[in-house]
Amino acid sequence: MNDIFKYRAPTSRAELFGLLAAHGEGAKILAGGTDLLVDIRSGLVRPELVINLKKVEDFSDLTWSQSEGLTIGPATTVNDLLHDAKVRDCYPLLADCALTIASHQLRNRATVIGNIVHASPGADMAPGLLCLGARVQIASQRGRREVPLKNFFTGVKRTVLRHDEIVEAIIVPPGTAWSRGSYRKLKRIDGHDLALVSVAVTNKDGAVRVGIGSAAPIPLLIEGLTDQDPADTVVAAARDVIRPISDLRCSKEYREYMIEVFVRRSLEEVR
Amino acid sequence: MWMSVEVNGHIYEREVTEHWTLLRFLREDLELTGTKDGCSAGECGACTVMLNGQAVNACMVLAAEVDGATVETIEAEAANGELSEIQAAFARNYGVQCGYCTAGMVMSVRELLRHNPKPTVAEIKEGIEGNLCRCTGYQQIIEAVLDVSGQVTNETKGGLKYV
Amino acid sequence: MSESNTLSVATHVGDDVQRVDDTAKLTGGAMYASDLVFAGMLHAQVKKSPHARAKIVAINTSKAENLPGVHAVLTGKELDYRIGLYVVDKDILAKGAVRHFGEAVAAVAAESLDIASRAVDLIDVEYEVLPPVLSQLDALDESSPLVHPDLGSYDYVKASFSPQPGTNIPNITKIRKGDIDAGFAEAKWIIEREYTNPSVQHVPLETHVAIVEWKAADEVTIWSSAQSPFTLRDLFCRAFKLPYNKVRVIIPHVGGAFGGKAGIHLEPLLACLSRKAGGRPVKFQATREEEFSLLPCRSALTYRIKTGVGADGRITAQKLLMYWDAGAYADYAVNVTRASAYSAAGPYDIPNAWVDAYTIYTNKPWGTAYRGFGHVEFFWGLERHMELVAQVIGMDPLEFRKKNLLKPGSTTLTGERINEHTGNPLKCLEAAAKAINYGRLTPEEEERQARTGRRIGKGIATLHKAPAMPSFTTTAAVIKMNSDGSVVVNIALTEIGQGTATVVTQMAADRLRFPVSRVKVAVERDTDKDPFDWQTVASKGLLLTGNAVIAACDDLLRQAYSDAAQVLRAQTADLDHDAERIFVKQRPEESVTFAALSIGYVYPNGNGIGGPLIGLGRYTAQGLTSLDKETGQGLPALDWTYGAHGVIAEVDPDTGEYKVIKIASAFDVGKVINPGTMRGQCIGGMIQGLGTAECESYIYDDQGRLLNPSLTDNKILTAKDLPEEIECIAVETPQLDGPFGARGVGEHPMISVAPALANAIHDATGAELTHMPVRFEDVWRAIHNKQPIDTWVTKAPADS
Ligand SMILES: Cc1cc2nc3c(=O)[nH]c(=O)nc-3n(C[C@H](O)[C@H](O)[C@H](O)COP(=O)(O)OP(=O)(O)OC[C@H]3O[C@@H](n4cnc5c(N)ncnc54)[C@H](O)[C@@H]3O)c2cc1C
Ligand code: FES
Ligand code: FES
Repeated sequence: MNDIFKYRAPTSRAELFGLLAAHGEGAKILAGGTDLLVDIRSGLVRPELVINLKKVEDFSDLTWSQSEGLTIGPATTVNDLLHDAKVRDCYPLLADCALTIASHQLRNRATVIGNIVHASPGADMAPGLLCLGARVQIASQRGRREVPLKNFFTGVKRTVLRHDEIVEAIIVPPGTAWSRGSYRKLKRIDGHDLALVSVAVTNKDGAVRVGIGSAAPIPLLIEGLTDQDPADTVVAAARDVIRPISDLRCSKEYREYMIEVFVRRSLEEVR
Repeated sequence: MWMSVEVNGHIYEREVTEHWTLLRFLREDLELTGTKDGCSAGECGACTVMLNGQAVNACMVLAAEVDGATVETIEAEAANGELSEIQAAFARNYGVQCGYCTAGMVMSVRELLRHNPKPTVAEIKEGIEGNLCRCTGYQQIIEAVLDVSGQVTNETKGGLKYV
Repeated sequence: MSESNTLSVATHVGDDVQRVDDTAKLTGGAMYASDLVFAGMLHAQVKKSPHARAKIVAINTSKAENLPGVHAVLTGKELDYRIGLYVVDKDILAKGAVRHFGEAVAAVAAESLDIASRAVDLIDVEYEVLPPVLSQLDALDESSPLVHPDLGSYDYVKASFSPQPGTNIPNITKIRKGDIDAGFAEAKWIIEREYTNPSVQHVPLETHVAIVEWKAADEVTIWSSAQSPFTLRDLFCRAFKLPYNKVRVIIPHVGGAFGGKAGIHLEPLLACLSRKAGGRPVKFQATREEEFSLLPCRSALTYRIKTGVGADGRITAQKLLMYWDAGAYADYAVNVTRASAYSAAGPYDIPNAWVDAYTIYTNKPWGTAYRGFGHVEFFWGLERHMELVAQVIGMDPLEFRKKNLLKPGSTTLTGERINEHTGNPLKCLEAAAKAINYGRLTPEEEERQARTGRRIGKGIATLHKAPAMPSFTTTAAVIKMNSDGSVVVNIALTEIGQGTATVVTQMAADRLRFPVSRVKVAVERDTDKDPFDWQTVASKGLLLTGNAVIAACDDLLRQAYSDAAQVLRAQTADLDHDAERIFVKQRPEESVTFAALSIGYVYPNGNGIGGPLIGLGRYTAQGLTSLDKETGQGLPALDWTYGAHGVIAEVDPDTGEYKVIKIASAFDVGKVINPGTMRGQCIGGMIQGLGTAECESYIYDDQGRLLNPSLTDNKILTAKDLPEEIECIAVETPQLDGPFGARGVGEHPMISVAPALANAIHDATGAELTHMPVRFEDVWRAIHNKQPIDTWVTKAPADS
């Protein structure tokens, strides 16, 4: 870490929002740090101030209620999610996605919200959360707003968040609880690796959704399908929206092919 | 930033460099060099230490974040000059070659056994997935974990075959 | 005392003796070069070229020099030294031009890493970017730019290498055996194909690190993660024209090396920085990213093999053309070329052979030694080729191999006659084949295939390798007795994880008839204190050092016997010894302890005789010769270690995804000294070989910029990637001149894993793979007859 920055760890929302408002673009939020510290080290991000939000009271809360669904706090780690009985029970798909992220010790730090806010096209929490209709609760000194996750991403590592805003929670509505779901991720090795492509498919009472990662600048969601649709229809819908590229990890052609295979296989599994 | 942290049972009060990682703090400020740097990018696990009882990559934590926390490193694993059970099992099973991954490996194994005293081979592999080892091919490390968790049977006991 | 080295009584040798260095490593107490800190130490950082080929128009260092805390800034201009192992072609910092992405163009030493980094950022370099030559085949073209226009003026080792001035070729090695035309004329089939593999990284968990202090009066001390302290000192002193006794090299614990830390790397630069900074020690540790292109890699290879086969399935002739991509500097690549050339046909009996092996400069990070020294690369092509030839002639691949294996009476490519002591490739091949039930699927495998829809295939591959070293390679060992009768052994073979210290302990203990607890082999190395060894490379350590250690033990015992004879008023012939004492054979009660003799014997009246017991042992490779430059004939091989792998793989026939179910590997090691450490070496190598086979590769863009210098995009295998089953098999055909009959096996486990895997995938799916690594996408392309991807130059942007 060769870049010099200052560090603060506010303990209240007010203090946190104040720091963000005061420092503007020069401030960066630190959750688990597993994306941020990598980006700082490589010089991609050069903050003046790093604000650790994990000390804010109640930020690590992970709660469930029949009316609200699942509420994931900013300090909820991927392992918190994995170890949560309610998650395993109501949203097993989320646990399946979470388990594919990095390694055990990284999952002890990496947060679910950090994964989403970082907005990598291949973020492993994205396809599942998209299928499950997650909403993003955004907060700042100026107040709160909420956007559906499907409208949150705007490009590679870009979101609708403004500099003074944080994501205060991700809410997974109760309506999609107990969905049948399946997550497939293509990697170069069995060990931890980023997704070359990934596909989540859910079926909730006949409504089928497909989430796709590493296939476009942002994670994709396809809605409006049913489990009566033939596989070819679903594949065609996917083909319509994906815009994969060739890069050092694999070719566009293979990405297209594997997305199709994954869609078919996952569909089969959730029917 | 001025901070106080408990490392291996000792309280250290220090001015920390705010942009330093926990890894640099341990190695350079506290001179606890048993924890290794293999990538500084979260990929290799050589820097794995226990932070408030959980295994983490010390290169992915800022030093300032451990203010008020408890950290344990490889230097505290052996007590009174005696290898811990995990260390002894690594030694018995040839789980060490160059030794550069070893500190991190031992930490990850400790974390695994804390949650899961009798892990299956698949669970062991999952548990040390984040710790790269270029020398051993992992097999004898896995055997060491089976050994320390009391699961070595004639079937799981590895060995050289002769023809 | 008259035992031969092979027949020495073995009580610890052959047993599982726990590693002698593991406690230090397990407790975090072992000090690696990266852990060392000295008073007044400065930290270096390096400015690196973002271009593969460019003229350096100007470098402005003034801002860096003025930064408080900076003690030295260097550019190539002020350094008039050239370095090179075999061809002296490398400047310490680029002078006038850069030849590869990541090349060092300037360097800084400062009071902290943070300051040094900032200073490097403040250095401005103006480049005139030139089109690079990236493929070694393009570099052979007459119109290709020259990577080293001055090749003709470079110094080189004339006995072994043949640079071609005015070209990009720093070496050609030729082998001629029999009559190639007659051999092809005799053939019923002639099959020719081309096989390729890219550059890869060693990925030792500890990156390269060194600290150098160049004090007044040219007193230089080097602490380094290097493999070969004496070769490092040799190259260093030659470059700077310093007397050898001015330069001291110390090697603490080393965190993995695999060949990448042989030779000389960071030390000359740090030395110059230290000198400029008034003699303060200067430290540098490469980042993981720098490890990929500031430091060397393994060379890429294109291997063209043309094989003639007779109606009976015997190979009649083979033409073998190797095109080695050295990258920007010759380093070890010229010798990789040479060693690969004389091994090029594998453990097969080829009556008529023709090898032309070229080392070729390109504008890429340079290739160096890597575990296997060329054999991992060329065996990829060779053992894929054997499979494809067997397929063409309609013969079972195992039978085809067996039919052509070397056997007693066969001659190698260089004319060496194989005998029954050389080792047994057939036994290795049969053991590996048997361990995977080669040639059929078991009922369980049939059932698994039906259940999963994945196809199971089996593949085998053979291997051999001899140490690649000078014909006169030599080593020494010193064994010193302490006053309690325990001993300390000094050698200069470096412990890089391979277990040298442990097996030397066992051998010394057995030769002395002492318990292992009385023997200590010093783990850290120091050229001021340890006896000479050429290098820790080439799987030659066990044989050469083992013999030297045995000789040192004998020397120590000889001295002890001589002193004891005096004390006991006997002739040495009347004496024998056990772990504690030397005694008169016919009256064992008349004895004197080793402790009493250890530092000179003292009579009751105070008279002293004898003196400290210090044994010296030397060993030089016996009977080896240089190779004739035109025909390649000669005796280059200290010993041949044979081996074979069997692989069972399971492939998804739609997607090309696959998984290794089992790998079983057999090696003829002569004698197993320590089953536990040998198995560790073998499995470590097998998995490293699988990594090379499955996913590791340098990927460049079309400007020669390396796209994946990180563990994020240069994956190495994790514990989750292990085959479900790993079997490691020892064959023991004693080596007549090996200590206790042993021969080396350090590199071999990694060789030929890739073709064994690809042969299994081929068996499962028919995929005709000719490029390594074998990624899922490559299998998918091969199965679906798609154009293979252009593998080491992708046209895609770095960031996706
Ligand atoms: C070795 C390694 C392997 C990895 N493997 C995977 C993988 O397999 N799959 C995968 O998807 N990812 C992977 N990652 C990426 C990373 O671990 C995950 O994206 C992780 O979930 C990020 O969470 P974090 O809490 O660590 O984020 P941080 O690094 O703390 O934050 C990420 C970004 O989000 C911002 N941020 C975080 N929280 C908030 C908030 N509440 N409000 C506003 N902004 C916020 C930060 O400012 C930063 O820009 C890997 C990373 C590493 C180092
Ligand atoms: S050094 Fe921290 S994971 Fe590699
Ligand atoms: S023992 Fe060398 S990296 Fe694991």
